[in-house]
Amino acid sequence: MSADELTPLEAARWAARVGLPLEDARHAEVAATANHIHSVVSVLRELDFGDTPPAPAYRAGEEKRDGTV
Amino acid sequence: MELSELSLAAAADAIRTRRVSPVELVDSVLDRIEQVDPDLGAYVTVTAERARRSAREAEHEAAAGRLRGPLHGIPMGLKDLIDVAGTATTASSRVRADHRADTDSTVAARLAAAGAVLVGKTHTHEFAYGLTTPQTRNARDRGRVAGGSSGGSAVAVASGTATFALGTDTGGSIRVPAALNGVVGLKPTYGLVPRHGVTSLSWSLDHVGPLTRTVEDAALVLSALAGHDPRDPASLSTTAADHRPGPGTDLTGLRVGVPRNYYFDHVDPEVEAAVRRAIDQLQALGARLVEVEIPMTRYIQATQWGLMVPEATAYHEQALRAIPDLYEADVRILLEAGELMPAGDYLRAQRSRTLMRQEWTRMLNEVDVIAAPTVPATAVPTDQQTITWSDGTVEGVSDAYVRLSAPANITGVPSLSVPVGHDTAGLPIGMQLLGRPLGEAALLRAGHAYEQTTPAREPAPAA
Repeated sequence: MSADELTPLEAARWAARVGLPLEDARHAEVAATANHIHSVVSVLRELDFGDTPPAPAYRAGEEKRDGTV
Repeated sequence: MELSELSLAAAADAIRTRRVSPVELVDSVLDRIEQVDPDLGAYVTVTAERARRSAREAEHEAAAGRLRGPLHGIPMGLKDLIDVAGTATTASSRVRADHRADTDSTVAARLAAAGAVLVGKTHTHEFAYGLTTPQTRNARDRGRVAGGSSGGSAVAVASGTATFALGTDTGGSIRVPAALNGVVGLKPTYGLVPRHGVTSLSWSLDHVGPLTRTVEDAALVLSALAGHDPRDPASLSTTAADHRPGPGTDLTGLRVGVPRNYYFDHVDPEVEAAVRRAIDQLQALGARLVEVEIPMTRYIQATQWGLMVPEATAYHEQALRAIPDLYEADVRILLEAGELMPAGDYLRAQRSRTLMRQEWTRMLNEVDVIAAPTVPATAVPTDQQTITWSDGTVEGVSDAYVRLSAPANITGVPSLSVPVGHDTAGLPIGMQLLGRPLGEAALLRAGHAYEQTTPAREPAPAA
């Protein structure tokens, strides 16, 4: 297990912290799934965002107004 | 040909010229449902009495010379995430066992006003959170997946149990099952079709759109659906428009982008061959092929997951705490694990979406349409969990099915899946046409021209 992965106990504590009590039997499975999701999304840390703002949703109208589409 | 097999355009023409009554058409579809749906499982609920009543009203109006338009008296299925007043929106989930919608969703209301007849609510992968729709079987091969999450809608259209249907698409959920069952699926531009009254999977990625037998049919349905509704905060300020493509098949002047990366990587050779043949056909019709480089492909899955996972978990926050045992295991675990994603990951995905949108805008300045496979493989057997590619790479079935469709959800661009043939096992193959925001006309024009100039597709399989 790499240093940035959650153990089953840590997954249970994180879940409890957000108000989601997990039965003991679910700790390992939730940790494994959370670790897999983390492994997928953590690749975004490679990007240099600079001043790039978040796009909460796509807005086709904005594209038209700035004349780039 | 049975009435239940007619395209929407052909059925509309038959109703308009009084050769067929809406009652006959709806009865034919209801008969077909009785015949094949026990095996296929496309429907959660069949609203037969309601459909017959609506058909009689449509017939009376037609007899009096009052036709509402091309959808008048046309039988349709709605994915069971779409509210219809007085019926349950089950989301194919035990979580919604006691649900009852008080009012129509915007799309259900618009289709009813256009004269369409609801024959039933179609199955979804539970709450649209999956790519297979396990309750439903593939229309071409009962041992294979329907695709999802709008699997019921695709199978209904493919098997003659709805003349058209609506689905929703968050990572490919209209286009994936459309491709796997040999029908047309259109994910419109984000915000073009209002989602008010449609159960969300991921607000910033969700779309509603049609599944049909032809591209022209998709255009007819889109014309009834599109237009601003302030109750959907993402709804664009567009006015109603006729999206029906013209009759011509000359594509001279159309620039078709052919990806040199991503869309043909880890793609089944038969799928690639069929799509490249279809692209050659577009060229033969006058289109100019332009090689394009798909930007930021390394970050597509990360961006999709970084947006979808926390948004889906947020939507289900209360039910996950109150009645977690009522979710299916695959959906429950994703919702639970989603609770553990930090806000920083979500913001990075949103910022990545900004960059990806900018890059796609640049790419789409060079071409009018991009042509690519919809999914990298045809429908797999229901018990198959992974796909092994020729270089030995192993990929989960759902990851593979969503891989080529997700970019259009992240960027919001329209995408149309068109059947372009079959593999040697007889399973359908789909080609995806992607365009600029609000560029549906170019997709529909190219798709319609392709359909008009290629041999007719096989009929729906026998029961």
